[in-house]
Amino acid sequence: MTATGSTSEHGPSSSSRRGEPRSSPHRDRGRRWTETTPARLWLLTSVCVVAIVGLFGSAASTLGHAREGLHVLGRDAGRQAMATTDLYLALADMDARVADVLLMGTDHDLGSGREDALAHYEASRARANEALLQAASLTEGDSVEEHNVQAVLDGMGAYERLATRARLLNDEAQAPPGRVDAAALDAYREATHLMHTGLLPKAFNLGLDSSAIVRANHEEGRESVAIGLVWVGTVGAVAVAALIGLQLYLRVRFRRRFNAPLLVATAGTALLTAGVVLALTSSGGHQSEAKEQGLDAAMALSRAGAIATDMQADQSRYLLDPDRADNHQQVYLARAQQVLYRPAGNLEEYYQAIGEVAAAYPELPGSGGSDPEDPGTLGYLGQRAQDALLPGQEDALAGVLESYDALQTEDRRLRAASEDGDLAGAVDIRMGVAHSGDGAFQAYETALAELIDLHEGAFAEGIERGDAVLAPWTWLLPVGTLLLLALVGLGVRPRLAEYR
Amino acid sequence: MRFRHRRTAAVAALAAVAVLGLPACSAVLGEEESVLDAASLTIGVKTDQPGLGLEGADGDITGFDVDVALSIAEKLGFSEEEVELTGITSAEREDRLVNGEVDMVVATYSITPARKTEVTFAGPYYVAKQDVLVRAENTDVQGVRDLEGLRVCQGEGSNSAARITEGLGIDVRKTEAPSYSACVDALREGDVDAVSTDNLILAGYLAENPDAFRFVNNPFTDEKYGVGLPYGDVRACEAVNKAISEMYQDGTAEELLNTWFGETGLDVVTRVPQFEGCDST
Repeated sequence: MTATGSTSEHGPSSSSRRGEPRSSPHRDRGRRWTETTPARLWLLTSVCVVAIVGLFGSAASTLGHAREGLHVLGRDAGRQAMATTDLYLALADMDARVADVLLMGTDHDLGSGREDALAHYEASRARANEALLQAASLTEGDSVEEHNVQAVLDGMGAYERLATRARLLNDEAQAPPGRVDAAALDAYREATHLMHTGLLPKAFNLGLDSSAIVRANHEEGRESVAIGLVWVGTVGAVAVAALIGLQLYLRVRFRRRFNAPLLVATAGTALLTAGVVLALTSSGGHQSEAKEQGLDAAMALSRAGAIATDMQADQSRYLLDPDRADNHQQVYLARAQQVLYRPAGNLEEYYQAIGEVAAAYPELPGSGGSDPEDPGTLGYLGQRAQDALLPGQEDALAGVLESYDALQTEDRRLRAASEDGDLAGAVDIRMGVAHSGDGAFQAYETALAELIDLHEGAFAEGIERGDAVLAPWTWLLPVGTLLLLALVGLGVRPRLAEYR
Repeated sequence: MRFRHRRTAAVAALAAVAVLGLPACSAVLGEEESVLDAASLTIGVKTDQPGLGLEGADGDITGFDVDVALSIAEKLGFSEEEVELTGITSAEREDRLVNGEVDMVVATYSITPARKTEVTFAGPYYVAKQDVLVRAENTDVQGVRDLEGLRVCQGEGSNSAARITEGLGIDVRKTEAPSYSACVDALREGDVDAVSTDNLILAGYLAENPDAFRFVNNPFTDEKYGVGLPYGDVRACEAVNKAISEMYQDGTAEELLNTWFGETGLDVVTRVPQFEGCDST
């Protein structure tokens, strides 16, 4: 502060100065007072106080934003996003169970049995309804998504009618295992077409949309916290500068070496600023980790589970609809490659490539980039394998890859039996895969659920840690601010008292 | 690509942080650049694909893909003058997206896991399926298995015949022509027995000459036609997905499918496809 230079001829005792003859007495008195030491002292003190209060304001508001961001991610948006992913899974499972029941025909004891399949159908239907209700509340006000939810609701009714008709027709016709009645097949074709063009895509898109909302919220929150950080830093620096200015002024005017309370206040302000910045940065880090390693990963893996549910049902569709077997086989491969991608022109190549992935893990085939034709191990599971960071994740992922490979091995047996004309054998293998107790698909689902649990745990932990970092500041900030203000008062009061 | 909003706030903030030496990194500041922020949008479309993207004698490019592209651009908030269409070949789609010459590609661009490592895909806006086109009088071919031993033409650089021979293990006599247009000519002349590729592409040829050919209508693969965007432009991807949903909801998609393929006997799906998702998995 340079104010001291221009008034250096006035000591603490020379509190007034002669006015210039032409100026009005009123103005003269005003100017005279503002140029006095107590006035300057008051002014500098006010600047310090305002800066400290400003620091409090900007820090409190930014901490508030950060807390809100954590809560939106942790309590609302994140969980709702998971719920919409569940809708796809439930719908895919419904269609899978219908196909299985048709395939079983009159043999009600194949696999885990017809009753079991129907019970799972009912359970999935209930889950789909529940997820739809949740989605409906989530998408209120968004016309595009609301429309989608409504369309799925309507479509479910139509689907159930078709599925029930297919089942009744097949029962009436007393169709033997693997030989679905023609009229029943027509109804099922219509049902599964509706499911795959009308219901599943919209359900999947709803899930993607929730992810998009989570992402947008997260980015927005990060942006506002980043701007808040700059404010806190700037205001904090201004407060420190003002305090140093006051200190220097006192030193020059009052010829004192140090003003201890002000010195402590300066250090305290710097500490408070640094502390808030540190807390915000670290909580932001935890939040990003919760989103990326927790929520995003869990959602991607849930999708890997949902698509795989539809994929394994393609085995039943392949067997029960010989006219469209080629299409169902190709679609099986396409869905499989969404789950875990390796370059493969047909299923035989795919089985082999997946076997290699499971055997080589944690190494990933093709990831070196040495072969320009080989983009590496991709898809939902492949991407996870590339990003594996959590402790215990590697083992869990290895389990998922092994069970996925086992599922493909069963698929190979199934298609071989079918191509050899052994329909009964193929149906047997299929119902074994779908067995809800010890089937290959159940094993895959269990392994996947374990991995998803890890990520959900990381999600909860990230949110908790982020919260824990911010929590002490709810009292630390106001208490610290009051303390700083008190210190400023303590430092300035004796000097001001000299002018009473 | 010009930018409407300079991210001055972010830059100033960054400068302030740097000056103050605060522990914050640039990644925390602001959203990433997106083609959505540009004042104009350059879209790559095909110019040699009847029904999808075909350049006429007057230089105008028309087709289903073109109309889809324009509809998306409109829903993203770009006026007609702000959209520029440019011809693009299959081979140059990735490169021209990566080097920023085009902001968006709508050109029978199938979404594949390998391509997703270089390009962010919105959509698909339509799921085409590989099917078979034969001469109208040929009633023997009812499915892809009936092609056994027949002459099947594929366009150069295409992989469609391999999906029959390797994918399905059906033994066909593969012939190759410089393009699918040439394949269709060969089919008309009787030099080949069938042409097999995406049904939308076949429908485009059929629409030009509806009496000469017949669709087998027994599709056997899914080809997801996506909207190619610069890698990592998640914001644009999500916005395009929303635009595609709207396109199906307000009936635009159905209208366009009928306009371009209504006469061909193709079973079109008029419901919104399942999107791929905008992250890089």
